[in-house]
This record gives sequence, C-alpha cells and structure tokens, in this order.
Amino acid sequence: MTPAIITNNLTKRFGDFTAVNGINFEAKRGEIFGFLGPNGSGKTTTIRMMLGLLAPSAGDVQALGISVKGNQAELQQRVGYMSQRFSLYNDLTVQQNLQFYGAAYGLNNTDLKSRIQDALVMAGLEGRENAKTKDLSGGWRQRLALSAAILHRPELIFLDEPTAGVDPISRRAFWDLLYQLVADGVSVFVTTHYMDEAEHCHRLAFIQRGNIIARGTPAEIKKNMMQGQVLEIASSDAVNTIKILRAAESLDLQEVELYGSLVHVVAQNVEKKKKDIQKLLKKEKIQIEDMAVIEASLEDVFIASMK
Amino acid sequence: MSFRHILAITRKEFNHILRDRSTMILVVFTPLVMLLLMAYALTVELQHIPIAILDYDRSATSRDFVQQIVSGNDLDLYAQVGSIAEIEDLLMHGDVKAALVIDPNFSRDLLAMRGMPMQVIIDGTEPESGGFAVEHIASRAEEFANKALSTQIQMMGFSADALNPLDLRIRTWYNPGLKPRNDLIPGLISMVLGMPALSVALALAHEREHGTMEQLMATPIGRGELLIGKMIPYIVAGLVNVVILPLLAISWFNVPFNGSFPLFFALSALFMFAVLSMGIIIGVFMKSQAAAMGVSFLMIFFPGFFLTGIFFPIVSMPEIMRLESLGMPGTHYATITRGIFLPGVGMEILWPYAVMLVLLGFSFTGIASLFFKKKLG
Repeated sequence: MTPAIITNNLTKRFGDFTAVNGINFEAKRGEIFGFLGPNGSGKTTTIRMMLGLLAPSAGDVQALGISVKGNQAELQQRVGYMSQRFSLYNDLTVQQNLQFYGAAYGLNNTDLKSRIQDALVMAGLEGRENAKTKDLSGGWRQRLALSAAILHRPELIFLDEPTAGVDPISRRAFWDLLYQLVADGVSVFVTTHYMDEAEHCHRLAFIQRGNIIARGTPAEIKKNMMQGQVLEIASSDAVNTIKILRAAESLDLQEVELYGSLVHVVAQNVEKKKKDIQKLLKKEKIQIEDMAVIEASLEDVFIASMK
Repeated sequence: MSFRHILAITRKEFNHILRDRSTMILVVFTPLVMLLLMAYALTVELQHIPIAILDYDRSATSRDFVQQIVSGNDLDLYAQVGSIAEIEDLLMHGDVKAALVIDPNFSRDLLAMRGMPMQVIIDGTEPESGGFAVEHIASRAEEFANKALSTQIQMMGFSADALNPLDLRIRTWYNPGLKPRNDLIPGLISMVLGMPALSVALALAHEREHGTMEQLMATPIGRGELLIGKMIPYIVAGLVNVVILPLLAISWFNVPFNGSFPLFFALSALFMFAVLSMGIIIGVFMKSQAAAMGVSFLMIFFPGFFLTGIFFPIVSMPEIMRLESLGMPGTHYATITRGIFLPGVGMEILWPYAVMLVLLGFSFTGIASLFFKKKLG
C-alpha cells in the first residue's frame, strides 16, 4: 500500500520569508504521525499545503497515493481535517454541526442519521444533541470536532494542534479516540507541541524554522538525536545548582536544564563526571539528594536539538 | 454543482439566522423599520411655522393682509411686535423662524398702484422653515395684491383678466396632488430591500473571522456552491420583505399600487440576486465583519442614497456619476418600483431594467467566484 503521505522537497515562501524549507518525510498508513515543533515553525503551513488550501512554492505532496495538486476535490472527499482554530459553529447545536459537516461531505439522509448517532456515542454526547456548541467545555468540543471530521469515514485525517488548551484528562480521552481510529485502519497526521503526546505517536518529525531536524520513531529519535546521556539531579537548591553547573566550563556539559524541581544535565560520558559534579556542588554547600543517569525523554531531545 | 452541497450551506445558514430571535429580527425587520423611519423623516410636511409681524402701517388694509397671512395651518402668528429689536430677540431665541415687516406706506402705495412695500426677515440657520415662510407670504401677498388691484382695474373699466395674461393649467399625471410620499416610498422600498446584502457580506466575513472558512474550504463544497448556498436564505428573507413592504406602503401610507404584483415580485427577486451578489463580493474581499460593514455602507447604501435617483435626479448628475449609477442594481430597481407603483407600467417598459439586473447579478457573482479561491493566504 502506498504511504499515507509523502512530501518531496515541499517548500512554502511568503515573500522573503521561508515558512517551510524543502521538507521530506513519509507517513505510513494506519499510523499516528506526529509533527512536532514550536509555535511558528511551519506546522500549520505544512498541513494547509497537504490539504491543498495553500499552493506550495516548490516541491509537492502526495496523500493516499495521489498528488494533492490537481486532485484537491477527490482528496477532500477522502481525508478529514480538524483545523487549529475551533472548527465548529459555536452558535449551532451539536446536532446541527454534525448535520452540516455530514451534508457537506455528501452523506445522504439515512447514512447521516446513523453516522450522527455513532459520532454522538464516540464523543460521549448522547442526549446532548440540542446543546449549543459554545456551552460545551473544551474537551467535549474537541471530541465533537473530531467526530465531525470523521463523519464521512476518511482514510486519513489531519489534526492541527487538536488538544491545545485542553485539560490533561480530556487530552488523554482524545488520544484514546485516536488510537481507536488507528485500530480501524485510519491514518492520522497530528501536530502538537506537547512532548508527552509526541511519545504516543508511531512516528515523528521535528520541525524547526521550516526545516525538519529529526524524524523517526520516538525511540529512534532519542537514540540518534541525543549526543550524550541525561543525568538527573535532585538537590536542595535546584536554581543555584543550574547556575553553578552552567558556569563550570571545565566539566564540558552540553545542557543544564530545570525539570520541575529536578535538574537535567546532558553530557558525554556523564557517568564519569558524576564525581566532579558532586564535588563542585558540595563546595557550594548544596546537598545532593539523588543523582542518576536516566533515559532521555523526548523533551530532553527536543530542547537539546533546538540549540 | 451539487444540490446537496448547496442545501447543506443553505440549511446551516438558516440555522444561524434562526438561532436567536435578534438575528432573525435584524434580517427580516430591519428593512421594515428603515422604511417607516425614513418615510416619516424625509417627508415632514412643514406646518405651523411661528412668525412675528411688525406692522408700521397699522391701517385697515394692512390688518386685513396680516389676517390673510396667518389664516390656515401654515404660519402661526407668534407675536405682533413694535420694533426691529424685538424681532431680533425672537429670532435669536428661536421663538419665530421668520418675521414680516410691513412698510408705513403699505396701504397708500397699494391703492396708488405703486406696489406693496414690505420686508421678510428669515432665520438663515433653518433655511427650510424660513424658505417655506417666504414662499407662503409671497403667494398670499400676490393673491392679496391681485384682489385689490382687480377691483381698481374694474372700476377703471378694464377686465380683471388683464392682470393675469398667463392661463396655465397644470395636470400632474401618475401622482395627482404631487404627494411626496407617493414617489418617495417606492424609491425607499428599493433602497431598504438592499439590506440583506449587508447580512450576507457579514455572514461571509464571520466565517473568515472565526476560522470556520478554513474548515469549509477543506470540505468538498465548491466555491460556487458555497456562495449560492449562502445567498439563498437572504434572498428568501428579502422576498418576505418584498411582500410586506408594498402592503405597508398601500395600507399605511396610502400609496397607490397600480401595476401587477406578480411582476413586482419577479423583478424584486432579480434585484435580490443582483444586490446580494454585491454583498457577496464584499464578503469575499473583506477579512473582518467590521470591514465588511464599513464597505457595505460605502458601496451599497451611500450610492443607494445618492446615485440611484431616489433623492437626486440622475439626469442632473455629472457624467461619471451617471455611469456609476448604471452599475448599481438599486438604480434600475428604483425605476422598476416607481414604475410599477405609480403609472403601473409592465414589462413592455421595464424590460431593459430587468435585463440590467440580470447582467449585474451575473457579473457580480462571476467576479466574486473568480476572486474567491478555495485557497488561503
């Protein structure tokens, strides 16, 4: 089967500004492909090009085995999209929103009725068909928006920061829905800047200032991208620990970052540097409560690669 | 073109309009309220203008003359004063809008056929009332002088007709009595029926402003389907007014409706199509509702006011404005409404205007869909 998405040197320039700079990646069918990057890195621009809403300045993109250029109408029937900004009509009811999107994708009345029923079950909104959408809380609305985006049973869906501003429990529930979809054979392309969500993706691409700086499975990225290991330090004074370690040039540390109340140090041969770190902190009267080499999280990799 | 896609948009749009009462009232009743307000505001009949009179003559003739001036409903005698200073005071306070000063030689000169010396002072800050007073005084004075002189002429053995060599008989066709409302209201109807164009422009801009346009563009709904689907509910709302407004004109304002109502309805539907297409163009180009609102007033309502000939005859406009007025659906529709209301003409006269509406409608929708790409940025 052809991949869900292939981009080939995909580029978008707005005047002098290059928003997306010749990116190449491949998303497999039946997988969740995560597109990671900070705000303004080119994620939304990329999605819009994949949907045919923006014409690329150079390069091209294929979705479901067909070129987006010139086949926009056919593709739009076969893919789903949940845009970054809230994609439903706030002033309409749950039922009216679902009805509209179903009809927009050409569903006939009988199909529409049963699909709307399915969507309500999926979003957990049975019995609330006549609630105005604006009266729903963030999590419910995101689930409703997702169910609206898949009413026409697309083979591939694009989700642009679907969980931005949604509470953690609702985010979890949302991702459970995504796994359900993937289990049914749907391919998912999702942008996010939540690192914990990125860990849930089958495959990832990191985009920064329009360039892809890493791609692969979460495990591959951690292995390939991370130069050195991560040492986690629990100390009596995390803030000063960071100051001291950052100033200690002789130790040759790549990263010193705060992680909640902990400090993460990234360096080559970090095991051997433990003693020197201990000594240095003791001299400054900082007590080390715990210190261990740990597996790098995606966030460590992300921060390290952004430098 | 898929009927189902158009229907999806139309249905959604109806849901938006029906979602709360205020929007519905806005869409359906704004033209009605505008018509009522403007019909009253623009056809105020001047009556009971207060004036002051300074009579230096104090003769039986001058008293008689004053009596004639202030009889009837047009001018009210606010005060008889003794000096110019008093007149100034009254004008300054706005108690009177005009003052009549009768010369000491008024009756003597009149009887000697040397004229009828008098002066009218008006408040120039209210030229409407002042001008009205002048006109009224002048016409009454002429009557008065004619009567006085004809007696004298007859005594001299001449026919009184010698005073009036002109025998002018005026016949006003289509609007006997030249009632201003009979002409104004059909014109106003053509103007207020353009209101749905604003609503449709706002509806499109709303989708952009709220980001739902992007979602719409990602659906298989085509741009033509989107624009047509958006227009239909506002055409329907407009047609409701096409029925209500003439009924109001006939029953409330007693404006005669001499033409065919089915013809009026059909041509109004054409106008709706043309003027809503203008609204669509605005909605396509404007990114926010505020901008759409401003441009609608600039492009639809101001020209509707000034260029369509409702208030200012098109023939007296400069060339360039006359050309511009041809591009306004309202110009042609105003001719249609007036033609059907008053003389009651039919297609044999109105067909060129109907053709223009169709042409404008198709050109506007053409331009709109040309520039309305299913693309962002």
